Amino acid sequence: MSALARLHRPATVEEAVRLLAGGDGERTRLLAGGATLVAMLNAGLVDPAELVSLAAVDELRGIGTLPDGGLRIGAMTRHRETAADVRLAGTLAVLREAAARIANPVVRNMGTIGGSISFADPAADYPPALVAADAAVEIAGPQGRRRVPAREFFVDWYATALGPNEMVTAILLAPRAPGLGSYDKLYRVAGDYAIVSVALSVAWRDGACARAGLAVGGCGPRPLHLDEADELLRAGRLGAQAARRAGELLAAAADPLDDVRASAAYRRRVIPRMVERALAAARDELSRTA
Amino acid sequence: MSTPYPLALQVNGAEHRLEAALGDTLLTVLRDALALTGAKRGCNQGVCGACTVLADGEPVRACLTLAHECAGREIVTIEGAAGRAQALQEAFVETGAVQCGFCSPGMILTAAAMLERTPRPSADEVRAGLSGNLCRCSGYRKIVDAVLRAAETGAP
Repeated sequence: MSALARLHRPATVEEAVRLLAGGDGERTRLLAGGATLVAMLNAGLVDPAELVSLAAVDELRGIGTLPDGGLRIGAMTRHRETAADVRLAGTLAVLREAAARIANPVVRNMGTIGGSISFADPAADYPPALVAADAAVEIAGPQGRRRVPAREFFVDWYATALGPNEMVTAILLAPRAPGLGSYDKLYRVAGDYAIVSVALSVAWRDGACARAGLAVGGCGPRPLHLDEADELLRAGRLGAQAARRAGELLAAAADPLDDVRASAAYRRRVIPRMVERALAAARDELSRTA
Repeated sequence: MSTPYPLALQVNGAEHRLEAALGDTLLTVLRDALALTGAKRGCNQGVCGACTVLADGEPVRACLTLAHECAGREIVTIEGAAGRAQALQEAFVETGAVQCGFCSPGMILTAAAMLERTPRPSADEVRAGLSGNLCRCSGYRKIVDAVLRAAETGAP
């Protein structure tokens, strides 16, 4: 039986943060969509004394356009909404594709982007997509708001840059550029976490890559991203040689584990192939349409 | 520790006043307090889909939803099946899509919500729509046939 003694339902982010700060450390947890936390409650993996439900915090809901043309995805936005938002096009399509690959339609109707990234499972779909898109994470805490680049938000296995009594409030995206975003994953069964995933965001100008973000999921404590690999792709046309080299660099830098889904050695072998495949598909698509 | 708190739930068009511990899931309350055993407890982890019910018309896992988070939401279980869900029940029977029956309530309610959004799905769209519902008899083919049949006959 659960020892849960309080279920708070604040209406504002500030109130949620105050409730977190007034709680008992790890025994006070935020409840977003419940897709992970309630499953862990059922399995006896967590035993919170207090939950702070974010269901009534209006500010956290939905996707808005920012004054500069960028997008703000509220932390409580469901995967289903993100997967269906046509503003996530061009370089930002990577996020939409990743959202559409999470679990199954019913879980996508429950799970939220804030909940997913706060849990920070490195085999989940959003982390590499946010890193590839070079998104920023907006965080609220007792000291107010701050922003952390997604590339610094994921710090270790199930660990993020969130400090004590801080919470994710939104994902911030710079205005989309012409180009392409893609997300592919290798999995045992549809809807499972990734064995290896590849997230790609490419800005395309005058027939060449103006900016690239490439990240690999499922192969270490955090999304795997190398400035050097992105740099290899920039200014070129995503040619086969650059793609091979980028894949080799990422495979060499990967730190995968043997787990129930695959061995570490298998993952290292698969990374370059998935990277080459993603880049070849992007090259074809961009040469056809851009 | 598990002190019960009063809770008013709208289920299948009726208001129920009951008491539930804060950590009780909607599934626990439906089955144990309201004796609505159509929603099944399979994995209790959100994976199998057997507990799927509708909340404000959208499919949710009752096992991943805390009961106290459902105040003010309209819950529909298989016992309250009407309209599309009822047409689906009939199509399941006619097509032989019911084997042991454990997955059927979740399948039917998930499909009902899917048909609401996509009234004329392809077989692939049905498979994708039901990809989060497991049938351990592995009678998927007839389940897909049943959903297509219900889509053809249309909602009442």
